[in-house]
Amino acid sequence: MLKTTLAGLRAHLLRLMLTALAITLGVGFVAGTFVLTDTMKAGFDRQFTASAQKVSVAVLTDDKKIPDATLRAVRAVQGVQDAQGLVRGDAALLGKDGRAYGETPTLGMSIVTGPLARYTITKGRAPGGPGEAVLEKGVAGHTGYRVGDTIRVLDKKGTAHSFTVTGLVDVGVDQEIGFRGAVGFTEPVARQMTGEPGYVEVDVKGAAGVSNDRLRAAVAAAAGPSYTTVTSHGLAKRLAATSGLNVDDIATFFLAFALVALFVAALVIYNTFNILIAQRTREMALLRCVGATRGQVFRGVLVESVVVGLLASVLGVLIGIGLGYGAALIFDSGSGVPGGSLVVSPTPFFVGIPVGLAVTVLSALMPARAATRVPPVAALRTQSEGRVRGRAGIARIVVGALLGVAGVGVAALALTATPGKGPFLEIVAAGALVFLGVIALSPLIVGALSGVVGGLPARVFGVPGRLALANSRRNPKRAAVTTVALTVGVTLMTMFSVALASVRTTADNNIRDHFPVDYRLTAQSGPDDRPIPGAAVAHLRADPQFSAVIEVRTASATVGGRKQDVSSVTQGALGHELKPKISAGSLADLRPGALVLHDDDAKMFGVRVGGTVPVRTAHGTMTLRVAAITSGEESVLPDILLDQSDFTRSFGPKDPEQVYLIAGKGVSADASRAAVNKALRDYPAVRVSSAADIKDQLSKALDQAFLLVAALLALAIVISLIGIANTLTLSVVERTRESALLRALGLTRRGLRRMLSLEALIISLIGALVGVVMGTALGWAAISAAVDDAALGLPVGRIVLFILLAAVAGVVAAIMPGRRAARTSIVESLAAD
Amino acid sequence: MTSTAVGAPPAVLAHNVIKDYGTGEATVRALHGVSVGFARGAFTAIMGPSGSGKSTLMHCLAGLDTVNEGAIRIGDVEITRLSDKQLTHLRRDRIGFIFQAFNLLPTLTAEQNILLPLELSGRTLDRRWFDHVVDTVGLRPRLSHRPSELSGGQQQRVACARALVSRPEVIFADEPTGNLDSKSGAEVLSFLRSSVREMGQTIVMVTHDPVAASYADRVVFLRDGRIITELYGPTPDGVLDTLKSLES
Ligand SMILES: Nc1ncnc2c1ncn2[C@@H]1O[C@H](COP(=O)(O)OP(=O)(O)O)[C@@H](O)[C@H]1O
Ligand SMILES: [Mg+2]
Repeated sequence: MLKTTLAGLRAHLLRLMLTALAITLGVGFVAGTFVLTDTMKAGFDRQFTASAQKVSVAVLTDDKKIPDATLRAVRAVQGVQDAQGLVRGDAALLGKDGRAYGETPTLGMSIVTGPLARYTITKGRAPGGPGEAVLEKGVAGHTGYRVGDTIRVLDKKGTAHSFTVTGLVDVGVDQEIGFRGAVGFTEPVARQMTGEPGYVEVDVKGAAGVSNDRLRAAVAAAAGPSYTTVTSHGLAKRLAATSGLNVDDIATFFLAFALVALFVAALVIYNTFNILIAQRTREMALLRCVGATRGQVFRGVLVESVVVGLLASVLGVLIGIGLGYGAALIFDSGSGVPGGSLVVSPTPFFVGIPVGLAVTVLSALMPARAATRVPPVAALRTQSEGRVRGRAGIARIVVGALLGVAGVGVAALALTATPGKGPFLEIVAAGALVFLGVIALSPLIVGALSGVVGGLPARVFGVPGRLALANSRRNPKRAAVTTVALTVGVTLMTMFSVALASVRTTADNNIRDHFPVDYRLTAQSGPDDRPIPGAAVAHLRADPQFSAVIEVRTASATVGGRKQDVSSVTQGALGHELKPKISAGSLADLRPGALVLHDDDAKMFGVRVGGTVPVRTAHGTMTLRVAAITSGEESVLPDILLDQSDFTRSFGPKDPEQVYLIAGKGVSADASRAAVNKALRDYPAVRVSSAADIKDQLSKALDQAFLLVAALLALAIVISLIGIANTLTLSVVERTRESALLRALGLTRRGLRRMLSLEALIISLIGALVGVVMGTALGWAAISAAVDDAALGLPVGRIVLFILLAAVAGVVAAIMPGRRAARTSIVESLAAD
Repeated sequence: MTSTAVGAPPAVLAHNVIKDYGTGEATVRALHGVSVGFARGAFTAIMGPSGSGKSTLMHCLAGLDTVNEGAIRIGDVEITRLSDKQLTHLRRDRIGFIFQAFNLLPTLTAEQNILLPLELSGRTLDRRWFDHVVDTVGLRPRLSHRPSELSGGQQQRVACARALVSRPEVIFADEPTGNLDSKSGAEVLSFLRSSVREMGQTIVMVTHDPVAASYADRVVFLRDGRIITELYGPTPDGVLDTLKSLES
C-alpha cells in the first residue's frame, strides 16, 4: 500500500506542491516570528552586556543625585583605575524652526571618553570642550542636523547657547532617550547646561587583576548605603529591565497575524485536498475493488498528507528563519533595535512543524473519510468531472444561522453597555461567532452573490462570461471555501481601516468640539514647568489678528482631602469661545465662592451641582459650591476650575501655563502662524500646537499603524490567492473534456482564458464584498464598543481599493491555470477520460 | 482514389494527408497519404478496424489537429495553413460536432447547450429553424433540463440539435451512437439521416458499427491509415462482408 501511495504522490507532485505552498507560507510566518523575537532578544542582551562590560562596577541612584564628594571617594578606593560620573538633565534642543524640539525637552548628557565610554560615536567624534556637542542619532534624523552644523540648546534658565555638532552618538536601546532625544556634551558643559548638581551614575573601571566582586564591595563601602552599587553583570540586567522593551509583546502581536495566516492556509489546504480526493475517488474505488480495505485507503491518504505536511512544514520553518532574520535586519536599520547575528532556537521547529503537520493531516483526513464512505462501485460509476453539486444542507443552515444570531446578540449586548475594554472584547467574540456563521452559510452566500457579481460580466463578456458565472456556481461548497479564505484577509483589512478611520473621525470631532481654538500654547513639559512669559501674552493681546487670547493658570491645592491641580480660565471666554459639554448646572454660575468640576471628579467627591467641596491652599481653606459639572473626554477645560478672582487670591498673580489663541475673522492661517511665531521668538521653549497640527500627527500615526497591519495581513491574502489559483488549476484539470469541447465548438484560446479569469474575478469579488461588509460592521462595532461618543468613519477610497485589488489579484491568480487550459491540445483532451 | 458525387464540388476534400504521432523512433504514422472527398448533402460513414486512423482522419478534416503533409479544404478554404485562431473561427462558423460522449456542458441547460455555437459566433437565432430542429429531435419538453437530468440518448439528441441549429457546412460525428443502447442509437441515426434528406445537411460519421454505417449513403473503409475501398448504398451485411475482407 505504501508503494501505491508514494507512486500517487509522485504522480500528483505538482498539485501537491501548490498545496504545500500554502502551508509553507503559514508555517514560515509562525517560525519567522519566533526567529525574529529570539534574534531581537539575543541582540538586546548582547547590546546591554556589551555596554555594561565597559565598566567593572557602577554606583546607581534612584532619585537623589550623586555628589562630587562621593565621586572623589570612589576614585580614592584602592583598585579603582578610573571613575566617571554621568550627568543627565534637561537641555532643550531647538529645531531648525527655532522652537524647542519635542513634547518634552531633550536630555542633556555627559559623554564619557576613554575606557569607560559606553556609547558609540557613529559619526564624527566626541565633544572635546565648550562649544561642542554630539547629537543622539535619532534626534539628528528627526531634526535634520548633521555633523558640522551649529545647533542651539536651552540651558536650565531658558537661555540659548550655540554648539557645533562634532558627531552623532548611538545610545542603543534606552526608552527615555528614544522618546526625548539627547544632546551630549563634555561633563563640565553638561553640568552647566542642565544645572544638575550631581550625577545619576558613577561608572568605575577596576585596575588589572582586581575582581569585580571585590571592587564592588570596596566601592559600595566608599559610596555609602544611600546608593546601589552593582557589578557589570548586575548593570546589564538593570539595563535590560529598564529598557522598556518587551520582546514577548512583539511576539504576541506577530503571532496573532501568523495565526490568521495559518487559518487561511488551513482553509486553502482543506479545499485542495478536498478537490484532489474528489478527483481520485475513482482511483480509490478501483483500489478498493481490487481488494484494499477502507482502512488501507484511508491510511494511504494519511501517509500522503503526513509526507506533504512534513515537507511543507520543514520548508516553512527554513523560509521562516530567512523571513525572521530579514525582519530583524529591517528593525535594526529602522529603529536601533539590534538585529545582529541570527539566533535560531529549537522553538520554531518544535512549534512550526507540528502545527503545519496537524493542519495538513486534519485537512486531508476529513475529505478522505467522506471519500472512503462512498461504496466502491458507485464511485467507479461517477464521472470525475465536478458535477453540479447539491445545495447546502439543513444542518449547515441551522448551525450557520444560530452562530450568526448568537454573534449579533452578543454584539447588541456589547453595544448597549458602557464603552470600554469589556464590551470591546465582547465584540471581538461576536465577530468570531458571526464569521463562523458566515463560513457555515458561505455556500448559500456565494450562490446568492454570484448572480449579482457575475451578472455584469455575463452580460458584457458573452459566452465566456456566462460560462464563468455558471462555473462559479457549479460547486458552491468549493467556491465558498475558496472565497472564505480571501474573505478572512479582506475582513480584517477592512476592519482595521474602518476602525482607524472611525478613530480619526472621532478625534476630529473631539478636536472640533473641544479644541475650538486655533492655537494652543503650552510650556514644554519637563520636571520643572516653565509658564508662558507674561510679556509674550501681552504681545499677543496687543496683536489685532487675534480675536481672543485665553489664559489658563494651574496650581496645586488640596481638594476634598486630595492633592489636585486646580485652574482658572480667562473668565469672559467661558461659554463663548470655550463651550465644554455640561452635564449639569451652568457655567454662568461660576462666581467667587463657586467651582466647576468634571464629571469624574464630581463622582469621586460624591457631590452634585449645589453641593460643596473644601479647597485648601496656602491661604487657607475655602468651601466652594459646585456651579456646573462638565463631561466628555478630552475637554478643553481643566478638570477643576475655580473662579478667576478666587484663584488669584489663593495663588497670587502668576503667568499662565497655557494660552489659547483664536484668530480674527479673515486672518489667514499663514498670517496668524507668523504672528504667533513673532510673539514667541524670544521664548523658544513655548510649544505651539494647532488643531491642524494635531490632526496631522494623528493622521500620520494612524497611517503608520495601518501600513504595519496591512503588511502583516498581506501574507494571509497571498495565501488565499494561492487558494484561488489552486482551485482553478484543479478545476481546469477536471474540466479538461469540457474545455476541449468548447474549443472544438469554436471558443478561442483567449475565450477560454477569459472564462477562467472571469470565474476568478467573480470568486474574488464575492470574497472581497463579503469581507468589506463584515469588516465595516466589525470595525464600527469594535470602535463603538471601545470608545465613548464614537463617530464612525468610512474610508471609502480604501475600501474601493481593496475591492479593486482583490479583483486584480483574482485575475492574476487565474493566469497560470488559464495558460494551462489554453495550451492543452483539443484532440488529446477529447481522448482523455 | 479521390471520389466525390458527380457535379457539385465536395464539401470537404482531403488530398494526400499524412499524419505522424510522436517523433524519432517512436513515430507512428496514423495516416499514410489519405485522399478523399465528401459530397455536399451526403451522409458518409468512415469505417475500419480499431486503430486504423478513423478518429485521426476526422480530427484532421475538422481542423482539430494539424497534418504533417497534404491539403484539406472545407468548402473553398484550405485549412492546413490556418492559424489556431482562424481554425477556431472556421469550426465555430462552418462545422458541427457530435462526439461519442460528454458532448454537453454540465452547467448549461439543453437549450443553452443547443444555442452555444450560435452564441459563440454571435449570430442571431432563426427561431423557426430552432423550433423545427427541436421538434424533429423531440426535445421540446426537455429544453430546460440540465444534461445530468437527461438520458444518454436524449443527451446525444441534444448534441445533434446543437450541431444542426447553426446550419454548418459539415457535421463531424465520432461514434455518436457508441455509448447508446440500440433503440436510442437507431433514433439518433435515423434523425441524422433525415437531416441529410430533408435539410440537405452534410454529415461525416466515424463508426465501427455496420448497422450504424448502413444509415449512410456511402461508407469509406480505412486500414492502417489508408483508404482501402468504399461502398455506396450500404446494407449492414454488405458492410460486414467488406470489413471481413479487410481483416483477412
Ligand atoms: N496522440 C497519439 N499519440 C500517438 N499515437 C496515436 C495518438 N493518437 C492516435 N495514435 C495512433 O494512431 C493510430 C490511429 O489512431 P485512431 O485514429 O485513434 O484510430 P481509430 O479511431 O480508428 O481507432 C493508432 O495506431 C493509434 O495508436
Ligand atoms: Mg477512434
